Amino acid sequence: MSRVELNTQAPNFTLNDFNGKSVSLADFAGQKNVVVVFNRGFF
Amino acid sequence: MAQLRRDYQQFVKLDTEIIVAGPEKAEAFRDYWAKESLPFIGLPDPEHHVLKLYGQEVKLFKLGRLPAQMLIDKSGNVRFVHYGHSMSDIPPNQEIIDLIVMNM
Repeated sequence: MSRVELNTQAPNFTLNDFNGKSVSLADFAGQKNVVVVFNRGFF
Repeated sequence: MAQLRRDYQQFVKLDTEIIVAGPEKAEAFRDYWAKESLPFIGLPDPEHHVLKLYGQEVKLFKLGRLPAQMLIDKSGNVRFVHYGHSMSDIPPNQEIIDLIVMNM
């Protein structure tokens, strides 16, 4: 499985959040840093 | 998640948003966010688009997915990557916060 490499351009993605609002990584470009967390499940 | 909630304001002060993605459906996210009062963005990804794109590892025989964290700067570059080797292998927030401060 491909992995994200350090110091490379992060692949863009667009998904709806749980309220149905579209969220795209590109929306934050030039404005905010983004911490992307892949969680291990809600428990 | 509790760790992220506790330090969220510190991230906000550093112009940083937190996005948590997972394979659960929107309802599961909504319930969990409400129960835990989580302030950051929750992205349900039941079709695994982003999970695959970012290479989150699934350990079928360990009954779950391994945690992963990335820091992406304002230019869209990956500045920190951590793929967990076990369920509890999650870096402390301070490590990421220090990196943001250094890169500012």
